[in-house]
Amino acid sequence: MTTAAELRFRVQAPNSKARTTSVIALDAPSEAFVRRLSGDRWNHATFLRAAPGDLDAGPEADDGWLTTLGDRRTRIRDEVNAADQVIMVAAPGGHAEVAAVVGRACSRKRVTTTALIVGAADASDRDISTTLAQLRPWSLMVVIANSDDYVSDMMTALRV
Amino acid sequence: MLRKEQNDLLTQTGPGTPGGRLFRSYWVPALLAEELPENDCPPVRVKLLSERLIAFRDTDGRYGLMDEFCAHRGVSLWFGRNEECGLRCPYHGWKYDVTGQCLDVPSEPEASGFARKIKLKSYPLVERGGVLWTYMGDPAAQPPLPEWEFIMVPASHTYTSKRVQESNWLQAMEGGIDSSHVSFLHRGDLNSDPLFKGAKGNQYNLSDARPVFEVVESPGGLYIGARRNAEDGKYYWRITQWVMPSFTMIAPRGHHAVHGHFWIPIDDENCWAWSFDYHPVRELTAAELSAMRDGKGIHVRCEPGTYRPLANKDNDYLIDRAAQKAGRTFSGVEGIGMQDASLQESMGPIVDRTKENLVSTDNGIIMARHRLLRAVRALVDKGIAPPGVDLEHQKVRSAAVVLPPDQPFQDGAREAMIARPSVAPASV
Repeated sequence: MTTAAELRFRVQAPNSKARTTSVIALDAPSEAFVRRLSGDRWNHATFLRAAPGDLDAGPEADDGWLTTLGDRRTRIRDEVNAADQVIMVAAPGGHAEVAAVVGRACSRKRVTTTALIVGAADASDRDISTTLAQLRPWSLMVVIANSDDYVSDMMTALRV
Repeated sequence: MLRKEQNDLLTQTGPGTPGGRLFRSYWVPALLAEELPENDCPPVRVKLLSERLIAFRDTDGRYGLMDEFCAHRGVSLWFGRNEECGLRCPYHGWKYDVTGQCLDVPSEPEASGFARKIKLKSYPLVERGGVLWTYMGDPAAQPPLPEWEFIMVPASHTYTSKRVQESNWLQAMEGGIDSSHVSFLHRGDLNSDPLFKGAKGNQYNLSDARPVFEVVESPGGLYIGARRNAEDGKYYWRITQWVMPSFTMIAPRGHHAVHGHFWIPIDDENCWAWSFDYHPVRELTAAELSAMRDGKGIHVRCEPGTYRPLANKDNDYLIDRAAQKAGRTFSGVEGIGMQDASLQESMGPIVDRTKENLVSTDNGIIMARHRLLRAVRALVDKGIAPPGVDLEHQKVRSAAVVLPPDQPFQDGAREAMIARPSVAPASV
């Protein structure tokens, strides 16, 4: 029976282990946002950005580079291999080409991808659509949020 | 997960609570009109938002919804005599009109004016679309009457039922926007339920059990798009509408009626699950109405004379393990409505969201909570009316469409997601 009284007997032991999450800013406007986000307290999160030159091999490349917020370059493949889930953050305007390389690496390793478009409240439909087209093929879930504080709430909800 | 204080904020809807204030911003369904079928019929007890109320229909056909208990000695007015434009307490004869105003205190001299000083708390109760709606908030902020499409179409186009769900409203509502469970929990019903079967979209559902989701904020709540593969590289989209605080509308299937729910708190551990089916441009057929009354589709069969489902937690929802093993039902519970309700009730009266482990496909739920919390804060801190109060937010439709791969559903289905009189729903 599922009464309130019976709730007292629910097992109280932890039921999950921490998941490792890579949060990747795919373009310059979202980088500032991800930097702010990295200042909050998270359990197992790595924050990365796509810096100029990281995508020299082009969006069709099998692998590429990302840059940590501390300006260290790191291979996308290595970051994805170390992650349980990847959160990609992009702004409207269509500068999220690196999503394809990250997404390809995630597909290979069956790593879950979530993509968020931030700053959508003041953006045009066309700019949102352009970014959406870059994210959609590589994301299990795409969220267009009017309020940027949604990302923080979502990460908390996902126990990042 | 939610922190405990966030969970409390959203799940507690009694008087004086922030969540209660949110619900008291809206017209909410209180009773089916069939519960008060004629003038001077027996009164009906109804608990809403943790308030015990009595509903009645007086000699002139006016509806009333007020405090259940007589102001004199606290007797339940359910025992009252509904006569001559008022409800009279059978204990000492105190009588009240539909506004809760006491009209008569037989033990006091009429000239004393004592009766005029007695008034029970009451709320407006208005019939629209076969549903009696009430507004329990500040009278000064009362919004216009609701204009959901299912109550605005002709009576012959629409059917509404309700059932008690023995869980908090939020976990019930979250089931309504959790599109990813359909391919599992309801897979046995898509090709057999008379209100679902035959739609081409069912095959997309069944052949692609890993939908991809997009969640987009709408003026009143959310659009939740679930994408599956269709022919020629196109995508089959099922777009669910959620309008705050608790209206959900499921994407239609083929030529069938469009359906959805309201989840209204009875108290913090129980809610009303309202279920509607309607078609914007045609009458419901006799066969459809019969199936709905028989508990098919999203409706359920209830114990005679009540709104408690026949399959309930006291009989383990009549679970049929043989049907489960044979794949006729995925969970062993029959019927889409009870498949949902059984699992949501099994979580406990108020699920402990501090223990849950959400995943990426739960973003619809995460976003709904985010918007609810934001709306509660804006309402409590700044007095801002929440989304969903505006009548324009209520003119929505769910949709099922096939679109080219590069077309955002919010563009490709833009017109389809708006309720327009005499326009057929977009359905596959």
